[in-house]
Amino acid sequence: MSDLLNRFMRFRRGPWENLATLVIAAGVLMLMQPLSLTLYTWSFATMLAGTVMFVIVSKFPE
Amino acid sequence: MSQALTTAHSVVAPSVLSKRIAGAIVILYALVSMIPLAWILMTGFKTPPDSIAYPPKIVFAPSLEGYCNLFTTRTRQTQEYIQSLGPPQTICDEITRKRDMVIAGPSNYVPRFWNSLVIAFGSTFCAVSLGVLSAYAFSRFRIPLADDLLFFILSTRMMPPIAVAIPIYLMYRKLGLSDTALGMILLYTAVNVSLAVWLLKGFIDEIPREYEEAAMIDGYTRLHAFFKVVLPQAATGIAATAIFCLIFAWNEYAFAVLLTSGEAQTAPPFIPTIIGEGGMDWPAVGAGTTLFLVPLLVFTVLLRKHLLRGITFGAVRK
Amino acid sequence: MGRIAAPARTRRIRGLSDKAIAWAFIAPTMVLLLAINIFPLIWTIYLSFTNYQANRPNRPITYVGTKWYRDILGSPDVWAAMQATAHFVFWTILLQTLIGFGLAYLIDRKFRGHAFWTTIILVPMMLSPAVVGNFWKFLYQPQIGLFNSIVSFFTGIEPSSFEMLGSVSLSPWSIIIVDTWMWTPYVMLICLAGLRSIPDYIYEAAEVDRASLWRQFWSITLPMALPFIMLAVLFRGIENFKMFDMVNLLTGGGPGSTTEVASITLKREAFEKWRTGYSSAFAIILFVAVFGLANIYVKALNRVKQR
Repeated sequence: MSDLLNRFMRFRRGPWENLATLVIAAGVLMLMQPLSLTLYTWSFATMLAGTVMFVIVSKFPE
Repeated sequence: MSQALTTAHSVVAPSVLSKRIAGAIVILYALVSMIPLAWILMTGFKTPPDSIAYPPKIVFAPSLEGYCNLFTTRTRQTQEYIQSLGPPQTICDEITRKRDMVIAGPSNYVPRFWNSLVIAFGSTFCAVSLGVLSAYAFSRFRIPLADDLLFFILSTRMMPPIAVAIPIYLMYRKLGLSDTALGMILLYTAVNVSLAVWLLKGFIDEIPREYEEAAMIDGYTRLHAFFKVVLPQAATGIAATAIFCLIFAWNEYAFAVLLTSGEAQTAPPFIPTIIGEGGMDWPAVGAGTTLFLVPLLVFTVLLRKHLLRGITFGAVRK
Repeated sequence: MGRIAAPARTRRIRGLSDKAIAWAFIAPTMVLLLAINIFPLIWTIYLSFTNYQANRPNRPITYVGTKWYRDILGSPDVWAAMQATAHFVFWTILLQTLIGFGLAYLIDRKFRGHAFWTTIILVPMMLSPAVVGNFWKFLYQPQIGLFNSIVSFFTGIEPSSFEMLGSVSLSPWSIIIVDTWMWTPYVMLICLAGLRSIPDYIYEAAEVDRASLWRQFWSITLPMALPFIMLAVLFRGIENFKMFDMVNLLTGGGPGSTTEVASITLKREAFEKWRTGYSSAFAIILFVAVFGLANIYVKALNRVKQR
């Protein structure tokens, strides 16, 4: 667990980019899932957050 | 060793039987996937009654009526009027008179087809010209934020056309570019230039820098070396890229249907509007579709070696 | 030309040029993209906060805040359109990946004439989705259409007893069938590249170890081809998420709104009801989804990039 935290704290591109990818994917799934209207309502915010995050973390060093 | 490898359980050296089975399944799939295209071709040569016969006719007497109807507009006339005319001038005259009609004039198919040609070739020329310059710069020079610029260029192609069409529609209305060939050429150039930059960058990356450097030692300027050395070396790549751009512009429908209605309308939005008496004139649609698809079949054969590059923006080369 | 006569001038131009040429070469592309893509995008963002209607250009524009975004993201109708899109995207990707990978695996057996048949299989994906989609409408006609006759030939069902385009339960499948017919070759081609990127010596080593074909498939073929499969899936996902032309011509979103995918809803709002502000907000939502997925796509692209 602390190992995982360490990897994120060093601000390297790899793990952060994977996290942003997950957030975007979650947002798209929330947009298209048939189960909950609340999830659908929040999908846009999630996708936007994931995309902004992706753009920022792609500037981190390799 | 080598014998052990030629068994049914080998991926590297499959047995004759497994090859035969694989071949049979693939050929079956290929033939089934050709059925719709064969049907388009056949429908173009049917008469209207044959085309809507039940059960669908596989054997039929070929007729040129579909092609005649595609290129002409016709009006219904009385028997006496038709008999009062002179002998039929063309085969289409003869066919239409049998249906108690006379040819009133040419249809819109040829102008729409011509629009498609002008817009496709115009936008391809612009996109490839712009693309080859940018691709060269991205390939040879250190450009700040190159990756971001390249991603920005690619992302413009990914955008949903309807989402882009709303502001373009408003912008073109203000600028007087709605329903003009120039407007469509600009729009398709913008969409195609992203593909052109990515593809051509891949092709130019493969040309050794030493060629230009040698030319520049001989006293060529950078520009000179670009035109005299790099461009000829990249000719195959430029041709392949141009064909990809042509295919996109030729096939495009969403922008065309929303932004053009008359003068500059291309063939894809026009073909679905071909109607005869009492509903769709399917032989004419089949004929129009066939003529529209023939260039694409030629392109597929020409491009088969570069297809993979084209559909992965140059990332996968073989 | 004068390159020997005036060496000093040539050198000066050359010294100046590299940076200048780089920007001069890139600038036209950038200007075009800024004018045709970025400026309209910014305009769309602005419009999405207003009540502007394109068919009433003279009405004063008022600012409505995030009303349209809240409307869209709370609307069960738009949510239903997103689910119709999801149904279409899910099934097309599943079918295309299974059939496409299967075909690629068989073609990789390199039977006689495989290059020729591969080219034949590739033909549908080169065609115009609109023009071909329009013709599928004819194939799907209940009585006179070829599709129903073929189904009836194999199953014995009366050809006029079902309507692919007219019935609520079948119409979502009618567009899935056409899309699968058209784009399976795309997935097949990329999977084939993936399979061919696996070097022979890995299989040879596995065969020396007497690994079964089944084991080889799960532990060599699939993992090594996976980046390519992902690439194909992502691209088809993005393309089908914004699918417009084929669906518009085949069903037009109908019957009712059973096949009303996101782009069709957007077109109805923007160009039939002329709710420009509302549809701008909707466009931005789709846009963010595609932009996010495009980021992931480029990441996948870099993973399979070959030098």
